[in-house]
Order: sequence, then C-alpha cells, then structure tokens
Amino acid sequence: MLRLSNVTKRYATKVAVDRVSFDVEPGRIYGLLGPNGAGKTSTIRMITYITTPDEGRITLDDKPVGAWSQRRMGYLPEERGLYRKMRVGDQLEYLARLKGLSRAESRDAIRRWLDRFGSPDWKDKRVEELSKGMQQKVQFIATIAHSPSILIFDEPFSGLDPINSELLQEIIFELRTAGRIILFASHRMEQVEQLCDDICLIADGRVLIAGSLREVKSSFGRNVVNLEYDGDPSFLKTIEDRGDVRIISATQHRAEIRLLNGTSPRSILDAAMAHLSTIYRYELVEPSLNEIFISVVSNERDRAGQGAASSIAVREAS
Amino acid sequence: MSSTLWVIAQREYVQRVTSKGFIIGTLLGPVIMIALLVVPVLVMVAATDDSPRSIAVIDQTGVLFNDLELPVEYDLRLTDQPQDTLRAMITRKELDALLMLPPTLLSGSGSAEYFSRGGGGIVLATRIQEAVNRAVRHQRVLRAGVPEEVLRILGEDVGIRMVKITDKGEEADAAAALAGIGYTMGFVIYICMFIYGAFVMRGVIEEKTNRIAELIASSARPFQLMMGKVLGIGAMGLTQFLTWCILGMAIMAFGGTLAAMFIDPAEHGLTGSTDQQAVLDAAGITIPQIPFSSFVLFVLFFIGGYLLYASLFAAVGSAVEQESDAQQFVLPIAAPIIIPMLLIVHVIEAPNSALSFWLSMVPFFSPILMVVRVAATEVPFWQSALSLLLLAGAFVLSIWVCSRIYRVGILMYGKKPTFMELARWLRED
Repeated sequence: MLRLSNVTKRYATKVAVDRVSFDVEPGRIYGLLGPNGAGKTSTIRMITYITTPDEGRITLDDKPVGAWSQRRMGYLPEERGLYRKMRVGDQLEYLARLKGLSRAESRDAIRRWLDRFGSPDWKDKRVEELSKGMQQKVQFIATIAHSPSILIFDEPFSGLDPINSELLQEIIFELRTAGRIILFASHRMEQVEQLCDDICLIADGRVLIAGSLREVKSSFGRNVVNLEYDGDPSFLKTIEDRGDVRIISATQHRAEIRLLNGTSPRSILDAAMAHLSTIYRYELVEPSLNEIFISVVSNERDRAGQGAASSIAVREAS
Repeated sequence: MSSTLWVIAQREYVQRVTSKGFIIGTLLGPVIMIALLVVPVLVMVAATDDSPRSIAVIDQTGVLFNDLELPVEYDLRLTDQPQDTLRAMITRKELDALLMLPPTLLSGSGSAEYFSRGGGGIVLATRIQEAVNRAVRHQRVLRAGVPEEVLRILGEDVGIRMVKITDKGEEADAAAALAGIGYTMGFVIYICMFIYGAFVMRGVIEEKTNRIAELIASSARPFQLMMGKVLGIGAMGLTQFLTWCILGMAIMAFGGTLAAMFIDPAEHGLTGSTDQQAVLDAAGITIPQIPFSSFVLFVLFFIGGYLLYASLFAAVGSAVEQESDAQQFVLPIAAPIIIPMLLIVHVIEAPNSALSFWLSMVPFFSPILMVVRVAATEVPFWQSALSLLLLAGAFVLSIWVCSRIYRVGILMYGKKPTFMELARWLRED
C-alpha cells in the first residue's frame, strides 16, 4: 500500500502541497484529480522520490520511499520524453536496466511488450522516426516493462487514438487484476469516472474530497435534473437568476440542471410543466464527477474569499 | 547505486562512441590539427616566389658587386644605364628590380636603394638586405686593413649545442622543443576542456528539451545522472584523446627522420654520410623524449581538469533550456580556462618562478599550467602531488555544488534563472 500522511511541500513563493494524506490500495485504481496547478505533479514527484516532502511521510508497504522504491515504480509523466536519436530497443533496454533489470531480462520483457502492441519491428527504429502515437506507446512500454508493483500514470490517454486508448485501458485493468498499486492522475473527469475505484480531489495543494468513487458520488445525493423537451426553456434562466439552480448545460431540447440551496426537484418539474409544451424526459440523477469537481472547487474558493472569478477559472480549467 | 551509475555512464559512452560523428571526428582530428600547423607554413613557402629574378645593379662604389652573394635564381646584372631607363624597364616588366649602391655606402653615411614592382615577399627582402650588408661590411673591414685570416673567422657560422645538467648527468637540453610541447599539451587540455565540457552541457540540455529528465529522475538520483554523464563523456574523451596520443607518438617516432630530411648536412660542415643524430646535433635540434612520468601526470591533470569543468558545464546545462541561453553562465566558467592561456607564456619562460608555482597550485589553472611546468622543467614530486590533491578537492566541492543546482534545474522549465536563483537552489531541499 502507498500511504501519504500529512505531506507538505513548499516552494519559494507558495505552498504547493498542503498536508495531503491518502492511501492507495493494491488492486484498485486511485484517481488523483485536480485543476492545473493544484499540486498533482508536485505530489507525484514526491511519491516518485524525485523530490522529498518538507513535512510528512510517504511510505510504500510501510517503508519510506527512496531509491529502492524507484526501482519498483513505473512512472508515465504528463510531459512525455524519450531520447530522440536512440533506437527504440536500446532506449527501452536502458530505461529497464536503470530499474535494475539485467540485460537479458530487459530484452525479454521488451520483446514481449512490443509484440503485445503489434510492433515488434520498431526495435531498430530511432525514436524520431516514429509518429507521435507510436512514441506514446514506446513510452508506455517503458513505464511497465520492468513489471513495477506501483504504477503512476499522469494523463496516460492524451494524444492517443481510440484504438490505442482501448488497448491501454485493457492493460491498466490487467494490472489492477494483478494486484498492482495504480495511481491515475488526470483532469479528464469522464476518464476518471470510467477507470477509477477511488478518487482524491485536490485543489490549491489541499485534499478536498477523498474516498471511493461510489461513496463520493452518493454523498452528493441525487441533485441533478435531466430534462428533454419542446418549447421555450427561458424560464430556466429565471430560476437560475434567483440562485435556486445552476444550469450545467442547456440546448433547445435538452438541459442539465443542478439543484442548489435545497431547491426541491418537484418545483423544477412544476415549472417545466407550466412553461414547456412537451416534456419527453424528466430524470433525477447523481451529479457527474465533473459537476462534483466544479462545485467542490468553487465552494472551496468562495470560502477562501476569492469569489466568483476563480470559480469561472475552475470551470475553464476542468 | 553503483550499478545505476554504471548503466548511465555506459549509455553515454556507447551511444557517443558508436556515432558517426565521433568516428569521423577522432580520425579527422589529427588531420585538422596537422593542417592547422602545416598549412600556414606551406602558404608562406608557396607565397615566396622562387622564379628567377633579373636584378639590375648600379654599383657606384665599383667594388661591392663582386661581393654580393645571392642564390643562383637571382640573376644579378651590373649595368651603367641611367636610373630612369632602368626604372622604366621595371614598369614594362622587362626587369624585375633595380639595386642602387651609392658611393657613400662605403664611408658609412649612405644607404642602398631597391626598386621593384613590389610583391617580392619577406624572404627576398631579407636576402637582399643580408647580401648587401655582408658585402658592405666586408669592404669596410678590408679598407680598415684587417688581415684575410680575421675576415675568414668573422664569416664563419657558429652552431651551439644546449646541454642541461641533471641528476642523471648531462642531457641534451631541448628547452625550445620542450616549451613547444608544454604549450601544445596545455593547449590540448584547454581545447578538450571546452569541447568535452560543452558535450556534457549539451547532453544535459538535450535531456531537458526532450523532456526525458523527469522520467530518468524517477529512476536514478540526480547525482548519479550527472556523474554518469560526466564519466561516460569523459571516457569518450579519453578514448578519443588516447587515440590521438598514439597517432601523435607515431608521428614523434618518425619526427627525427623527418627533421633530418630537411637539413642539408653540407650546410653544417658535415659530410653527406653522417648519421641522423649527428645531423640533428649539428643543427642544434633535439627531438625531446617525453618522460613517461610526465605523460602520466598529463593524463591525470587532463582527467582532473575535465571532471572539474564538466561538473560546472553540467550545472549550466541544467539551468537553461537552450544552448543560446547558456552564454551568460558559460562566461564565468570559461574565464578560469582562458586566464591560464594568457599566463602560459610566463610559465614557459620562467617555470620555476614563484608566480608559476602558485598558479600551478590553483585548481582551476593547474590542469593547464602544471602540465606546462612539468613539460618545461623538473617539478618536484610534492608539488605535482599537492596540485593534484587540490584539484581533486576542488572537484569534490564543485560536484557537490553542481549536483544541487542540477537536481533542481533539470525539472525547471520556463524563465531563465538568475544567479540569485541558482544560489537559492543550492539551499533548497
């Protein structure tokens, strides 16, 4: 198990990570979410022992992380990078040997994974000759070739086509089944919802919510209304202006509305029936992770006295 | 830990040594070096026009013409034609030059005049001047009534053989050649320091711009990354350098033969059948044998100097994202390499002076200046040992400082840091 307890990291001008604690269990995928600049990368760099916390502890199986844990770790950074002039085979071998594999072991693993990705003939190609998508795959192999027991994927799907995304997801699920510790950092909420068992939402260096995805979602209750209709939806704007709801999205025939301040679902249905000619669908659902994310972050910022301006910034960031 | 360092150093070495650029550079290096030395000489020789020259001589003293000694390709003609006619002939290219020897020359007040279209070159000018000088001196001495015997003695050239007395007895002193070798060695170290240092810097910048820095930083400690790179590139440098040394020694081995080929034994009063060594001795040339111990010291200082400067270059590389941004930081590193090159002349001339001694103890200068001293003179063992020790200490200190800058720098993108920020990185944890 990977455990962070009260981890704090300060840089010259700001606190990047502020007393962050969470546990990542083996065999589950842990989503680390947060807007850009929330402290995700700073947190990951401490877990990977690239930097060390100013306060708090990070342990892997009850031992503090260090050079030993780096060898058992596979890290796919958000900023991808490979040696451009090096051949794919040499490159993967080098990266695997840095993790402590012997030459023979690393060659074996590389051959297996290149086969799995349907690209055994890449070995002698230079990285600069490969397309961006192919480079992504090479980078992914570099992350997993040494069979790490803990994996950290920072935005693993960015830049991949749907077919390769599918393959990647399949492998990540296999790793979960194999009982690996998996940390998945992203701000793409629909991916997190699809993949993760547990989530931790951080903003401005602090944990805002943490727990299993199921629990987090149900704790927010069913407070989102989905409407499909014909007619003039301008009445929704009126209700929103009163501060009773927030329109998440609205088109001529569809609207998603978040209920605020204890507004009853029934009152929306009444208003809809009064103003619309036809209602095809009225549904009360749990908010999406994206919606939770936005409301939690903006609430937090409102409380911090930064007002509406920053909540707009958050909406853009997500 | 050590195996990680080894894997990193090995990659740096193998990737570089097997590259086309390295192989070509290693083989062409000496060719370019030799070309740099030989081409200017060849150009000078080629620029000297050796085609026959017709020179008209107006000898108003009446005696000097017979004493003028010039090589056969100078066709000297005594003439009575008026100066204007001759000058017109020069312009029409019917004549190459005109030498005027006025009567006042013998009494000591006048000077000779030489008219030409120009372009005779420095060799011609010196030859004419020498010939006129000799002739005039001869006539003046003759007029003073000095006996023939004395004249013959004055005309003889004297060779001088330089002998150095050491513990091992007499040795031929090749001061000039040794100074030349010392200078060359110092210069080689100076060049290598820049070239291999820049390799290290470029390697670090490349890892940063490729964005692979973060990935490898999650697999190895920054110190290992930096040292692995420095050692791997150092091993490459040493490979290249030893290859050049072997090529150089081969040239040295044949150097004596080569030099002997260009010396005419007859010119030094020896018969044609004399052996090579005698020819060289007579010409005052000694091809020095570099003692093995000097060579070992040279290699040690080469390694020490490289390690010291390479760590600094690595720190600079980690602080910037493009080579063009590195200028500002390279300058303070380059200065201590350039300073010894300015002082090298003093050290060659006075290798045992107090200034030379102290300069050869300063870690930033010793890789160049101690090597020069060792080549130029007998340096006591304790001095070279102390100098090496100080160099090693400086290296340990600099690698500590630089790996702290490197550690922060390789993950830092965006604005180019200031010196103040670099200082802050040192304290950061």
